[in-house]
Formats: sequence, C-alpha cells, structure tokens
Amino acid sequence: MDNLIATGLIGISLGSQYALLALGFTLIFGILGVVNFAHGGFYVMGGYVAYYCSVVLGLPFPVAVLAATLATAALGWLFEMIILERVIEDHQATLMVTMGFYLVMATAILLLFGPESPEFSFPITGVWRAGGAYVPYANMVVIGVCLAAIVFVYWLIYRSGIGRAMRAMAEDRAVASALGMRTRALFPFAFALATGLAGLTGALVTPILALAPHVGDPVLAFSFLTVILGGLGSVAGATVAAFIVGMVEAYAAVYLGGSKGALALFVLVLLILVVRPQGLLGREVRRA
Amino acid sequence: MSNQASIRRLPQARRPALLGGYEWATLGLVGFAFAVPVLTRNPQILSQTNLILIAATAALGVYIMLRMDLMSFAVPAFMAIGGYTVAVLSLKLGVTDVILLGVAAFVMPALCAVPLGWLILRLKGVYFVLVTFVLTEIVQLLLFEATPLTGGSNGLVGMPAVTLFGIELMDNSQVLLTTAGLAFAGFTITALFTRYFRYEFTAIEKNDVLAESLGLACWRYKALAFSVAAGVSGLAGFALVNMLLTAHPTSFAPMSSVSYITYTIVGGKGAILGTLAGAALLVTATDLFALKGELSPGLFGLLIIVVTLVARGGVIGLAAKAAGRLRRASPAAPARVAPIAAVPARGVKS
Repeated sequence: MDNLIATGLIGISLGSQYALLALGFTLIFGILGVVNFAHGGFYVMGGYVAYYCSVVLGLPFPVAVLAATLATAALGWLFEMIILERVIEDHQATLMVTMGFYLVMATAILLLFGPESPEFSFPITGVWRAGGAYVPYANMVVIGVCLAAIVFVYWLIYRSGIGRAMRAMAEDRAVASALGMRTRALFPFAFALATGLAGLTGALVTPILALAPHVGDPVLAFSFLTVILGGLGSVAGATVAAFIVGMVEAYAAVYLGGSKGALALFVLVLLILVVRPQGLLGREVRRA
Repeated sequence: MSNQASIRRLPQARRPALLGGYEWATLGLVGFAFAVPVLTRNPQILSQTNLILIAATAALGVYIMLRMDLMSFAVPAFMAIGGYTVAVLSLKLGVTDVILLGVAAFVMPALCAVPLGWLILRLKGVYFVLVTFVLTEIVQLLLFEATPLTGGSNGLVGMPAVTLFGIELMDNSQVLLTTAGLAFAGFTITALFTRYFRYEFTAIEKNDVLAESLGLACWRYKALAFSVAAGVSGLAGFALVNMLLTAHPTSFAPMSSVSYITYTIVGGKGAILGTLAGAALLVTATDLFALKGELSPGLFGLLIIVVTLVARGGVIGLAAKAAGRLRRASPAAPARVAPIAAVPARGVKS
C-alpha cells in the first residue's frame, strides 16, 4: 500500500516534469505549426546552464534555475528569429532545421563540458515521511515549481492579451495577421516561452535524474509520446497526457520492470495516432 | 472504356528510357565497389567503402519515401527486421547462402511493411514523421524485450560467415563483396522502381489530393513504395549485421535515422545519385576530420541547416546548377537537353 502511494507520488513528479516539456512542445506546434526536434536539446542546455551557474560560479540554486530558464528562452528566441522564421511555411524544412539545431546543440555541449556527467546534485536533500511513504524533498520542490509554471502558462494563454493573440494565430494565421496580430513578434515569443519551459525543466530535473550531453534523446521521445497522446497542439490534452505517461512509467518501472511500460505507451500512442490522430483531448487539429 | 485505356497508355508511350543518366551513373559507381577489393588490400579503404555502401543503401529508404514528400524515420526499424531475420536464419536454422539470406532480408521487412503501411500511410506530413519515429522506438524496445528470439541486450552473436555457392565469404575483401552485392541490388531495385513509377510519384509529391481526384490510386503507390523502401532498408540491415558479425539493438538506434535522412538531404533528394553522394561525402568527412562518433552529429546538424536554408537541392542540386551555368556560359556548346535535366533537382517548393 505504502509502495503504491510512493510510486504514485513519483508518477506525479514525473508527470509534472513531462507536463512542462509537453506544454512547450505543444505550444510550438499549436502556434507555429512546427514540430520542435530540438526540444530535448533545450532541456539539456537548461541543465548545463544551471550546473555552470550553481557549481562552477557558485551562485545560489534558484538564481541558477532562473538563469537557465532565461538563457534557453533567449536562445530559442534567436533561433526562431534567425533560422526558423525563414522556412516557417514549409513543415519539412522546419523539421530539418530543428533537427539540425538539436545535433549542433548536443555537440556544442559535448565540446564545452565533455562526455562525462558532471557532479550536479539537488541542493536540498532529505526525505519527507508520511506513514510508510517516502518522498524526497527535491521531488516536492520540483512538483511545486512545475505546477506553478503550469498555472502561469495557463494564465498567460487563457487570461492575457498575449495569450489571446497567440491563440488567434494558432486558429488562423492569415486572419489574425490581418487583424493586427504581429507574427514577427509573437512567433519568437511563443518559441522562447516554450524553450524556456524546457530549460526550466532541465535545470530542475537533471540534478535529480542525470546530467549528460545525451539525456535529451529520451526527453524528445517522451515529449512526442505525451503530446501525441494528448493531441498535437492541445494545451489541456498535453497536461492530462503528461500525468498519464508519468503514472504509467512509474508503476510500470516498479511492477513490470524493464522497458515494458515504455513499450506499452509507445504502442498505445501508435494506435491513437492511427485511430484518432487528434489525440485524446484534441478537438480540432492544425492542418499538418 | 477506350478513353480510360488511352489514359493508362499515355505515360507508357512517353517513357523513352527507363533509367536516366543519374541512375546509370549511380549504378556504375556502386558497381565499381566490386573492383575495390581487386585494386587494393588496404583495410582502411575496404572498411570505408563498406561503411559508405551500407549508409547509402539505408538512405535509399528515405529517398524512396521522399519521392512522395513523406519523411520517414522508419529506416532503422526495417534495417533491424532485415538484419535480425538474417541472424536468426543463419544462427538457428543454419542458412548461410548469401542469395537466400539476401532475399529473406528484403522480403521479410517488405512483408512487415504491408500491414504497417496500411495503418500509417493515411497520415501525412508531421503525423507521418511522428508515427515512423514512434515505430522505430517500438522496434528498438521490442528487440530488447523479445529475448528468446533476439537475444535481448546481448544481441545475437557468433554468426557463421555467409557462403556463395558453397564458398565462405570471410575476410575483409569478401565482406565488402557481399556488401557491394547487397548495395547493388538495393540501388537497382530503387532505380527501377522510382523510375518506373516516376510520373505517379511526382503527381503524389506535388499534390496528392489532386492526383487522387484525377484517378490515381495514391494509397496503392504509397503502400508499394513503403514496402519496397522497407525491403531495401532490410538489405542494408543485412550488410550491417554481416559486417559486424552480430545483430545488436544499438546498431539500429532510433536516432540513427537522422543520419540516413542527412545523407539523403545533404546529397540531394532530387536524384538517386544524391543518396550515394551524401553518404560518400559525409562518411568520408566523419573519418577524414577524425570526427569519430562524438563530433560528427554537430557537423551533420550544421550541414542539414545550411542545405535546408540555402541549397535545397543538396550537393547534386548544386552540381547540376553549376553544370547548367557552365553550359550556358560557353557559346560553343550546342543547345541541347542535358541528360542532367532529365531529373530536375527537386526540393525547391513551387
């Protein structure tokens, strides 16, 4: 029973991380119509910036996390402005440049920091006990920050002027531009927001899980899973699906072992893509 | 009725030659690989040629699907099916004949691709990309999980050498001959297939809804192409397993599909020569700059971005453009249709 609860809490913790990654991913697809193959790269970069700031420069951890978020957002902004914007109308080209950018990012990190995982651990240690269930404080902090970030994203998208403009762009770009929404400012902003979220997740999670140049690959795969499950471009779908994926992964890891959980998820997603390409909660899919 | 018949005959009548200049050049170059073991004993050159041929054959899977504007990440999945089929046949059933194994390595993935294609070919664009990516991840996980058949994380090791008419093909140069044979088969199949259906594929590439409404059964060509692409990938898988003498899941990692896509795009997706040129250039560059493993992804990434932004036709597209400019610049040359123009460099979206 205790094991069941503890596993559930790990699932929630994983789910909240996936939610942040998937939210960014789905925002980019919903608003720009781009599948961001570089998403895992921004996650890794967030981890390394946080590591550099907190371990090498000795800054406090929250400052390092903030720096990681801002740095990844800034790079995302520049990438969108300089490279992605030129090919934004051609889905295959956007795919190629984001994929290429991911390879460049991963190699740059490898060159700068070397292939070994650096010594980078969460500054808060200790475990919270409730009955027989154990939850590390670090995971609780991650859950808290992730939930706060999710609430912020929801507020931004559904309650603010910028969010309204971005949703209008997602709905119909030509009409939205005709009504005065500024594509040239909003696209980089949306991209930067999404990559910033990936960087934030990386900064928070890599000290708990692992930090190495290649940890972005599984992140990309799981972002795909989550976003397809929830429906490409659907914000609510991504959030719900992230928690489903987190739970399945946590319970499968404890009770099934090996990669059976991941296998089950991938097969489920394959079937969903085929039967219901709009995903669980996606209503109207952007034309790909 | 007669109307329909004439529509069907029209493209047939206009097919002047099945294979164009690019195809002959490519097949000639691949065929030249048979001579490499005779010309040199340098193990470095032999293994380099081997790697290039395997990479190029694998990239053919991407090339075939790109002919219909579908970007496939499924190449490693079908390479794995081909490679493991060969490993299982030779280890568990004692089949070593290279021709039998080659046929199996083509047929098995091609058959697997039929139901899969039926499932996923209704998807287009981004969704097709995602579903092929997911498919490769599933195959990778299955290789680890289906231990009794695939050996799980240990892979299948200790394969006997393949034989041709009872002669063992064991040493470096003979392994290269096997690879060359498989690559030549793969390139011949691809060249004949993509040229025979070139009008159909071009129609689907340009606008499949329009093609469909004009009476072209798009799904049939897509399914056929998916199956052939899977079979050719299987041949590459066979060559890889034969070179390494083991079948291991890491040989078919999902991210390796990025490399095959890179070869095709950087070489030029407009002509079959592009996959060979891309594979030859990038595999050599990886080796030349001592970018073994670690740093080559960065180079690939940079090249992908540059090619996508400034030279959509890839290396072959650039070469064709340069050749065209040279021809126009020299007034002595008679104005004739260059063989190179038989296959226009595709990629620049109209």
